[in-house]
Order: sequence, then structure tokens, then C-alpha cells
Amino acid sequence: MISVVAGVVGALLLSAGLLQGATNPWQGLFTATRGAQIWLHLSPGTSVAQLRSQVGGIQAVAGPYQATAATVAQGSQRTRVELRATPSLPQVGRPLQVSGGWLTPRTPYGVVLEATFAQAIHIGVGDKLVLDNVDETSRLTVPVVGIAETADQGFYPDQTPGLIWVLPGLLRRIEPDTGHTEEVVGLRIANPAADGFIVQQVVTQLGSSAVGGISTWQQVEQSMARRNPLLGLLLALFGLMALGAALLAIINVTSGRVLIRNADLGMLKALGFTPAQVMVVLTAEHAILAGVGVLAGLGAARLLMPVLLGTVPGVSLASAALPGGWTAVIIGATFGAVLLATAAPAWQASRVRPVAAVRALPPRGHLSRLAGTAMAARMPPAVVLGTRAAFVRKLAAALVISGLAIPMLMITIGLGFWSTLDDVQHNPADIGLAASVTVSPGTLTPAQAGRLIQADPQIQAAYSCVRAEALTLGETTTITTLGMGTSARPYPFHVVAGQLYHAPEQAVATQALLTALHLSVGQFVRMWFGGVPVTFHIVGRIIDPQYDGEVLAYGRDTLADEGAPTPIGFYSLILRPGVSPAAAVTRLTRESDGRLDVAQVPNPADQLGIVHVALASLIAVLAVIGLTSLLTASLLGQRDHQRDVTVLRVMGLTPVQVRVALMMRTTVLGLVAVAIGTVAGRLVSMELVNAVSRLYGLGAGLGRPPSAGTLALAVALAISVAALAGILPPGPSSRMPAAAVLGP
Amino acid sequence: MKMPLLALLAKEPAHGYELKSQLEQIFGEAYPAPNIGQIYVTLQRLERDGLVRSQDVVQATRPNKRVYELTDVGREAVVEWVDKASDGPRVRDEFFMKLALSQLAGTSDQLGLINRQRRHYLAQMRSLSELAASADRSVPRLLIEGAMLHLQADLDWLQRCQEELV
Amino acid sequence: MIGAGDRLLLRAAGLTKTFSGDGVRVPAVRGVDLSLRHGEFAAITGPSGSGKSTLLHLLGGLERPTGGEIWLDGARVDQLSQARWAVLRRRRIGFVFQFFNLVSNMTVADNVELAALMGGSNRKQAADRRRELLGELGLAAKADTAPARLSGGEQQRVALARAMANRPALLLADEPTGNLDSAATFSVLRLLARAHADGQAILLVTHDSRVASAADRVISLFDGMVADDAPLGAAGGAAQASEMPLPRVLRLRG
Repeated sequence: MISVVAGVVGALLLSAGLLQGATNPWQGLFTATRGAQIWLHLSPGTSVAQLRSQVGGIQAVAGPYQATAATVAQGSQRTRVELRATPSLPQVGRPLQVSGGWLTPRTPYGVVLEATFAQAIHIGVGDKLVLDNVDETSRLTVPVVGIAETADQGFYPDQTPGLIWVLPGLLRRIEPDTGHTEEVVGLRIANPAADGFIVQQVVTQLGSSAVGGISTWQQVEQSMARRNPLLGLLLALFGLMALGAALLAIINVTSGRVLIRNADLGMLKALGFTPAQVMVVLTAEHAILAGVGVLAGLGAARLLMPVLLGTVPGVSLASAALPGGWTAVIIGATFGAVLLATAAPAWQASRVRPVAAVRALPPRGHLSRLAGTAMAARMPPAVVLGTRAAFVRKLAAALVISGLAIPMLMITIGLGFWSTLDDVQHNPADIGLAASVTVSPGTLTPAQAGRLIQADPQIQAAYSCVRAEALTLGETTTITTLGMGTSARPYPFHVVAGQLYHAPEQAVATQALLTALHLSVGQFVRMWFGGVPVTFHIVGRIIDPQYDGEVLAYGRDTLADEGAPTPIGFYSLILRPGVSPAAAVTRLTRESDGRLDVAQVPNPADQLGIVHVALASLIAVLAVIGLTSLLTASLLGQRDHQRDVTVLRVMGLTPVQVRVALMMRTTVLGLVAVAIGTVAGRLVSMELVNAVSRLYGLGAGLGRPPSAGTLALAVALAISVAALAGILPPGPSSRMPAAAVLGP
Repeated sequence: MKMPLLALLAKEPAHGYELKSQLEQIFGEAYPAPNIGQIYVTLQRLERDGLVRSQDVVQATRPNKRVYELTDVGREAVVEWVDKASDGPRVRDEFFMKLALSQLAGTSDQLGLINRQRRHYLAQMRSLSELAASADRSVPRLLIEGAMLHLQADLDWLQRCQEELV
Repeated sequence: MIGAGDRLLLRAAGLTKTFSGDGVRVPAVRGVDLSLRHGEFAAITGPSGSGKSTLLHLLGGLERPTGGEIWLDGARVDQLSQARWAVLRRRRIGFVFQFFNLVSNMTVADNVELAALMGGSNRKQAADRRRELLGELGLAAKADTAPARLSGGEQQRVALARAMANRPALLLADEPTGNLDSAATFSVLRLLARAHADGQAILLVTHDSRVASAADRVISLFDGMVADDAPLGAAGGAAQASEMPLPRVLRLRG
């Protein structure tokens, strides 16, 4: 029992931690780095010494640190960075070292890179970095002495520029003109909810002209959270169901254990223990076992987390740390489950008279007609007997079946999620990401850019696009709309309802946008582009995760026709199959001598490596849970079976038949449970994904069923384990000498 | 009293007091202490019946003692007595005597003795069963049942003897 | 001797069984020779620890002998595998234990019918046989009861019905009347007598002299060996045949 509790607790903690790392890494990082909730970018020379006394609620001030913009050159690639001078390791907002060491005077030009940035530009400790200042008037090659994480800002490349910590000497060398620098200050406040209020007060105190930029923890957290809240919710649901199933397993194994100990309890009472004392003994014993199990689980989780995270780059131990609340919930729930599972049987056992034996009562009726007919029809008697025996204790059978069906259901759902993820990863077109590369002309003329793109053999199709801000009535902010391709040659969105735009003034939109504007497919909407009104006819609904899922798209010729200004133009490129986006980016950059602004369209699914790990560990938990149900059933069944075995032998069952009968108990229950779980799971998984994605405005159509092969494998495994559980643990009495079983 | 004395004499000739002390030694508390007078009376009867003969032995410092020994007839009687299965409620004692003395008498092996007795009991039990099946009034049936219970007890005791003595 | 012909149904020669475990060796059966004709009824008596139950288990194939041979109807069986023994026990050998004779999760009727079905009867035959046997034993009313609800004696009788369901050539029983009162003992004896009259060979272990006396032959076991093996009734004192066999107690005193 200890191992089961340990396994469940450990797996739950691991999964929760991984989920946390997948969906909300900010919290862990913030706690580990003793972060600052507010970051200010101020003009150089602004004094912040009086801030703490002037504005209430500030616990600590980080900085001010001098910072300047610079560029990192890698070949022809140029990346913008922020150099921040930190003379010593900060106390507030302390970067978390991942590898290498911190800045030391011994290496005056050494730099420490922020982790996600370092990963993005493929630079590690020991490499050399080429730094240019903004004017490109000075260039330095510096060694990278360390890599660290921070909760100050979001992950690169969502958040640019990349962050590099340097010593003040290097900063002055790169940018001697303080006029081109700014001050970065971090504020750690007592009440995180009051950040807006405090920001107002600080700005008032310092003067708005001194404040260049402000970011609060909510923005950072939001930015760090993976783009798919959809996924977060799905996984949370999944995790909750896993918790439920875990508790069910613990209940199963605990009450099974109590039931088996019935004879001992009778002894205790015969010795003179009162019913209350018996209950106390039982509860205490199981609470202790649970406690040991929980400790073991905690230890295992702590040991295994780094190992698991090693398989997923980009997520640190800190970001996968569980807030104390979650851990307490998991441990509390486990204890609760154990106590609950002990209480009921313990109470019943303490009431049972010392001598009475708790035996299974046979079903009414003569050899239950079915079994009898089966036997007479020469079906193997062992199979019939075993199947019958499985259902003698109806309640126990129901418990076992549910104890196995629920995990099976969830494993099937989990596999469904997995194949949905895989689909999103490999077919980004299905979530609207047909194009994997976007190109802006940069320093080339549009014509030059266009020629270059046409000439590139790796590109299958290129669509000329524009991005335009539009205003609608009743909205205070602008909506980003996209003119993708032309009405004659529209961008191949993934249309889930209606159709794509084929004529001017036709448009498609995402569910989120439709909901936000209170529209539906078929209706008309009027928008203003720089004062020019355009009326769109919504002809279809698409899925697109960009721009928070709120997208309105149409042919760019619509804007031109209406005389609306067409601002930012770019190209969306669809690559030939088999061409990797990274390769295309490199090639285009090279072809244009770095003057084309080439970027990869981030595929949200690429960030989901950790989700695969989380899913896998959850599936493992569920497998363990199902196994414990089976083993408990097997143990109880064996106890019933042992005495009957000798009688069956005498009636003429061979040892093989006896073993088969024993196996059939769990196998039959397993078959029923697996069938229920798999069928229900397959039905539910797609519905679940579609329901949640509808909720998030992505509309239905994302869900994928679990892959048939994997499901078949899982089913086969489950049934084999069920069969094997019937004859484990060893102790089959099919060969035991009858005398040993019967007594003197 | 007759048969035990004969059985004792089967071992060697003895006079009255020796027989008395032998009886006391063998049976101890379980058997009422034999009266010396009763012994002499029995011995005289045995001699009258021709099973023993007596002889006066002259002793120097003490009065003469009369020593008894088995005749051939007497010896035969002992053998027959031991070999024959015993009957009746006092069977136990008689049988036990036989068992205890048979070694001395050198007449038969103990195991055989026990086996024969058991077979006899079982045969009796069978007769009783048959009788019980045909009994239609409760009084005779109860009597028969009583007898069967006694027999069962005897058989159990026989088993105990076998465990202890053989 | 009552019986169909002189061919031996069961023959055991030099049977020994020694249990070894935890460094201790317990010789339960130390060289037993035994034979039983077809249709013969023999009882085995002896004190507890004499090896009676073990001997019976050996003869029923539930234990493998350490030494010696067992022949069933002319064929050597002591070295058979458990599977082959199982087949033998379906039709040719019926076995009644001292305890735990019934499958606990089936009703009384199911237990008996299962045995019949295992022996090859169809449902109707099985049900008929069950009714016949339970009726003989006075247990017809308890047909639908769970074994756990029966008294020890009732369980034992049902077990007998179970063992006899297929009219086996050899019936082995270990203390079949151990827990019974005299009325129940009587009904068991009646059933056994009837089976015996039908030609069934019976070998049973018993403490009860009433039961033993019903047999043709009594085998007395002591300390793992046969102490006595004699037919009842005629011998054991042929000299007494003429005498009144009744004990003196029956002659009414008074």
C-alpha cells in the first residue's frame, strides 16, 4: 500500500509541476528569483532614492541599473538586445543561474545571457558574442560566462529585445554616451494586487517625462504563459480527473487491505479490544502507512523532476515548482482518501461479531442459468466458473470495473489530446498556420523583395498581405485586420464553417472576433480604416490563433478598391513539404544579404514539448491506478478462491483449469472495464476538445480521435495486465497440498 | 480374583503373601487392596478344582509357608482365558488385566490382544446396529443406544491403551 | 465378501508419505499395504496423527506419495500428473474431506450439479441426480442455500451428495459423520448402505464405531502403519459365533 500511495502522490506532484511549468511558469520563477512586480525604464539620471519613503507599499527597490540597446551580430543575422549593467548580483529580481557563473571583475567583458534568448540564438557558455552598438560605431567580441533566468520579462522571442547582463565597464565601452542609456528599476511591492495604484503614484512622483516604459507582473505572467490557454484548461481538467481517479485507487487499495485483514480484526476483538479501539488501531495504522507513502512520493517527485525536465529544454526547475497550496491540496486529498477508505470498512469491521466470517453470498437460482447452459454446452468449465466468480460480489465487481474503466477512459482521452497536439504540430494549417515564414521587405524595395521570393525554390506559395488597424462602432480600441492574398487568390485559411472570401468585401473571421463583435456568419459589419468606411460580408469562420484569436481576414484588394490606406505589407510564405522553416529563413536571409526581415511564424505547438511529458506522466499515473484496482481485486478474489480450489480439484479441475478460472476473474472484469472506458473515452475526447476550443473562440474542429494503433496497443496491454493480475502475486493454490489448505 | 491369581502363578510358583504384594504392585491404587484371607480362600478353591497344587516348604526360623504352583490344567485355563475375548460391563478390568499380565504370562502379543478385542467390539456394535434398526419402542432403543455409547467409549479407551502400552 | 468379482479396484503397496518443511521431517504414512475389491466397504480407524487422512489423500491423488505404488483398477496411478488425476476424479473417484467441502460462492444445489456436469451429465440429468441425492439426505429444503449458512453436519452431507453425484467406482471419505448427531449419522449410513448395495466401493476414515461396524472390513492404522486389517462379522472370534454376541448390559438386570 505504501508503494501505491507513494506512486500516486509522486506522480501527481510531478504532473502538477510539469503542468505548472507548461502553463504558468512565471509563478515559480518569481518566487525563486525574489522578483519585482513592477519594472520601470526611466530616463538616465532619474533619482529613485526617495521612492520608498514617498510611495507606500514598496518593500524593496532593485537598481537602478544602467541599460542600453545594442545588437548581436551572428553572421548576417542581427538581433537587438538590451545590455543591463549590474555591478553585483541583485537581491531583488535576482537572476537564477542556469549554467556557468555570474559576472566577475576577473572577466570584465564577460556577459550573462537570459536563458530563452540564449537558446533562441544558439549561444552557450564559453561561446563568443559579437556586440555592436546601435550606431554600429563600435564592435566588441565578448565571452559568455553564464546563462540565467529571470522573472523580469517574458520569454524571448515573444518579448524583445533579448536581455544580457554586463558589468558597468562593458556598458560604458559599448555606449559611452549616457544620453543613449536608460535606467532600469525594479519595485517589489507588498500587495501585488495594488500594482496599478502604485504605478500611478510612482509616475506622479517621478514625473511622466522621466518614465519611458512600465511593465507589471501581470503582463509578464501573461506573456510567459503559453499561448494556448485552451491547452491549459484542458490539461487542468485532465489533471483534476486524474486526481479523482487517483483517490479512487487509493480508496480501492485501502479498503481492500482492511477487508483482507478481517480475520485479524476478529482476533483483536476476541482478545478484548472494544470496537472503538479497533477502529482507532486500523485508522492509525493506515494513516501511518499513508504518511510514509506521502513522504516517499514527495521524495521521489523531487528526485525525478530534474530528470523529466531534462527531456524538455527551455523549462527550468524553478518554473516547474509548485506553489505550496497545490502540494498541500494533493497531500491533503491523499490523506483524506485514505482515512475515508479506512473509516467505512473499519467501522463495519468493528461491528462484526468476532466469530462471523464475511463470506460472499452466491447468486440466487440454480447455477445461474447462463453458466449452467454454458457448462452443458461444453464450454470450458474453468472459463465459465471464473467468469461467474467475478460477479459474485456485485459491489466489489462494480468498484473494480469503475476503478479500471475510469483510468482507461482518461488514458483514451489523453491519447486523444496527444494526437490533437501532434496534428497541430504537424499540420499547422489546421489551426490556421499554413504559412510558416513571414517576410517583410526590410531595407529592400517591395519589388526587390517580391523578385527574391519568386526566385526561391523552397517556397511553394507566397501571399502578399497587409495588416490594417480598423475601428468599429462602439469599440474603443482598434481591431487588427488582415488582408491576406487577394480575393482572386485568397490565403488558404482553415475554414470550419461557411467559405473563404472570393470576392471583394467578403471576409472571414474567427469565433472570438465574432463573439466580441456580436456577429455571426452571414452578417455584415462596417469598419473604418483611417477614416474610410468599408462594409464586410462575413462569409465564413476560420481558426487562427494569432492576435489572441481575434482575426478578420479578407482580400487586400478590398482595401485598395475602397480607397483605404494599405499600410504594412508583408509576405506569408508557404514552404514546400519537407522544407524546414529554419532552413528557409537561413536561405532567404543569405540571399538578401540580411536585408530582408525574415521571421518564423511561431507554432504554438512547438512550445508544447513539456505538455507531452506532462501527458505521458499523467497516463503513467492512470496506468498505476488501474493496476492497483486490478491487484486489489485479484487479492480479494484469491482469498475467496483458495478454499474453493481444493474442492474444485476434487471435482476434477486440472491445475491449468484452476489457474484459468482464477485468471478469468480479473480478465473478465478487465475486459468489461476496458471496453467501457475506451468507447466512452473515444466519444468524449473529441467532444471535450471541441467544447473547450469553442469556449475559447477557436470554434470546433480541432479535436482529433486517439490514433487507432496506439489505442489498440493500450487496450491489448490493459487486458493482458488484467489477465496476469489474476495469477499474481504468487500463491496460486492450484498445486498446494490439500492438507495444508484444509488444516489437520 | 481366580484368573488373576492363576495368571500370576503362570510366571512362577508363589505363596499367598507374595501374590498379594504382586497384585498390589501391579495394580496399585486402581484395584481394591486384596484381602489375604480372600486370596487364600481362592487358592484353596483353585486347588480343589485341580488348577493349582500346593506344597509346604520348610523354613528354618519361621513357620512353614505353603507355596502354590500351576498344574497343567491350570496353565491351559490361563491360556484359554487370555485368548478368549471378554464380555460384560466389567470387561474393561478383565481385559486390562489380561493386557497387563499377558507379557508376564508370555501367552500372546499385546497388539494381537488389542486387535482381537477391537474386532469383537465392532462385531458387537454391528449386532447392536441391526438390533437398533428393528427396535420400534423407545425403551429398548435407548438401551441399545446406551450400549453402543459404552462400546464406543471402550473402543476409544482401547485406542488409548494401544498408544500407551504398545 | 460382498463385491463384483475378485479383481482389485484399489491396491496400494508400501505406501509412504513424509512431509518435510522448515527442516523438520514428519513421516505421516510409513509403509502401508492396502487393497480393496470392487464394491467392498472398508473403514479405516486409528488415533489422530496416525496418518489416516494422509493415506486417504494419497489414494485420492491429492498428495503424491514419497514411496510405494498405487494401482487403480489394474493401472498404476501414483505417478500421474495432477491433470490426469483430475480427470480420474471426475468420474471414477469421489472424495469427501473433513472440512471445506463445498464451493463457497455457489448454492448447495449448484455444488452438486456442478459435480454432475463435470462428470458429463447434461443439465436435466444433473438436476435429477441432485434432487435424488439431496432428498435421500433430507436436505431438499436447503437446495438454494449458501454453504456458509449450513451447519457443519449439513455441509458434510451435501459434500457426500457432491461426491456421489457421478456414481464413482470408488468413494473416499474422511470422517463423513464427524459433526453429525445420531439422526444425521443414521441417514448417512443409510445412503452409504444403499450405495454399497448398488455396488459402490467405499473407503472411509472414521472415529465412529457405529460407522466402522457397518463396513465389511476394518483397517486399524497406528503411527503410519497398518496395525490390523480384518473383515468384520464372521471372523475375529469364530469361536464366539455361537455365543450370543450381545453385551451383558442388554440382559435386563433386575
